[in-house]
Amino acid sequence: MNPPKNNRLALVIGSGAVKCAAALGVWKVLNRAGIKVDLLVGCSGGSLFATTMALGYSVDECIELTQRLWNRSITRKRDTRSFLKALLPQVFKFDERFGMIDDHAMFKNLRAVFGERTFTDTVVPLYLLATDFYTGEPVVLDRGTLVYALRASISVPFIWRPWRIGERFLIDGAVSNPLPVDVAIREGVELILAVGFETPAPRRIKSISRFVFHLNSVMTNNLYRANFAFHNLAHHAEIITVLPDFTQQVSLFDTQHIPYVIQQGEHAMEQQLPYLQRLLGENHSS
Amino acid sequence: MAMNLIEAGAGRKKVALVIGSGGAKCAAALGLWQVLQEEGIQVSMAVGSSGGSIYAAAISLGFDLNTAEQLTLSLWTRDLMEGYATNLRRAMTGEVRFTESSGLIDDGPLTERLKTAFGTTSFSDAHIPLYIVSTDFYTGESVVHNNGPVLDAIRASIAIPMIIPPWQVGDRLLVDGAVSDPLPVDVAIKEGAQVILAMGFELPVRKRMRSYTAVTTHLNSLYMNNILKSTFAFHNLAHHAEVVLLLPELDPAIGAFSAEQFPEVIAEGARSAREQLPYLRRLLSQTSLD
Repeated sequence: MNPPKNNRLALVIGSGAVKCAAALGVWKVLNRAGIKVDLLVGCSGGSLFATTMALGYSVDECIELTQRLWNRSITRKRDTRSFLKALLPQVFKFDERFGMIDDHAMFKNLRAVFGERTFTDTVVPLYLLATDFYTGEPVVLDRGTLVYALRASISVPFIWRPWRIGERFLIDGAVSNPLPVDVAIREGVELILAVGFETPAPRRIKSISRFVFHLNSVMTNNLYRANFAFHNLAHHAEIITVLPDFTQQVSLFDTQHIPYVIQQGEHAMEQQLPYLQRLLGENHSS
Repeated sequence: MAMNLIEAGAGRKKVALVIGSGGAKCAAALGLWQVLQEEGIQVSMAVGSSGGSIYAAAISLGFDLNTAEQLTLSLWTRDLMEGYATNLRRAMTGEVRFTESSGLIDDGPLTERLKTAFGTTSFSDAHIPLYIVSTDFYTGESVVHNNGPVLDAIRASIAIPMIIPPWQVGDRLLVDGAVSDPLPVDVAIKEGAQVILAMGFELPVRKRMRSYTAVTTHLNSLYMNNILKSTFAFHNLAHHAEVVLLLPELDPAIGAFSAEQFPEVIAEGARSAREQLPYLRRLLSQTSLD
């Protein structure tokens, strides 16, 4: 027997650091048009926005929370121990729990916003992407404490230490699956709104960490393109891409650009809205 | 080039040999090459990325097996890493500025050895058309080399990020082909290959990491392996060329400096090729659809 046809819609927010705030612009447009999302998937920076949306906050609340989560305070303090470990690996017992920036401030911000809430507290089912640090496989997180899943998903290599959940050591989802449309496909939705970004690279390379950072961005982008090309070709779910266009350069921690970023997300979504509405209508009637 | 005209006229299928990134493990391609020669299977093009570019070049330039083996042994010696620890310390403390054209090893000796092997040979000297893939350092796009000095293309293609400095060719700064296209079957497809022998390698990942470089190379491997899977899955699905994938089963511990294990590596390459021979023969005997 065929299950009844429906028109479930997933919103997938890819990695892209500050650029991910464009998802809030997308959210704004969807709210205005009265379109409900049935599933949220986030990766890396995109995880933060997917989570605030899944918890049922309003657009304005999401914007306010973003500013509390992501500001200069999270990158201010260098992780001295990691620095010494890198410099004198034998003396300071170098190991893979390594990140150049102290993660206390970031973790405090996450706690302040999300507290002890878990995946079961979300009003829309939520899936967050991380990567197994040892094998490089994508790991889908959909249970447990939100703060831990978020912390894992945004562990930018070299910047923040990997994060352990259970048996697994996890890093940034962007290392394996920067725009995880496959998670939405697997969950069986008919329509997928995929908000993707090219990860920004540092402006100038003047240190080894920027060099590494630049290469990570380049590889994330190549993976993003290749993965997306594959899923687009291989599956029959309807994927609508929302690719916000940034004429202004937005770097990794340019949080002052967030209002502009949101606006660009809004523009990009507005362009796709008639198409989305048509698809939703078609599915309704079928 | 005359030979290629004859080949093209014979109405046989265009076979491409694609050798992916995999450091010194790429020497397994020599085993594959040996099998193809024994079986009298002609190859219409050779494509290489990263470590694979060295063997694609050796094969297409007509090096004999012995020369190619000697090249492998002379290229990857431990002394290449000399100065590495000092350079890392200087880079970390900011004593030396690490820029886009920096690397942690002094690439002089490596480039010299490539010069000894490839001299001023250019792509037009190849017996079999040769394509080498590197990556634009700034945009991350893959760059296909098929003219000019072979040396430049190889040197760019093997510029392992952070370790070996990127290489300037014309107005482009280039880095390791594995950053964009670790197993470049797409190049063979574009060049009209009908049967593609693709030899790929997963890059080694680590369990323990005791230095900054260990973490960097581990993460590079994770990224490159994921890019390999995604690009390969896409090209395999999107195109209609027959791709015969050869995955030599090699000890993951075989690194760039495991010279003593090269005979094994080559033998495994030959074994993995023989395993696919019946299939390959069937593909070659079928008449082309177009």
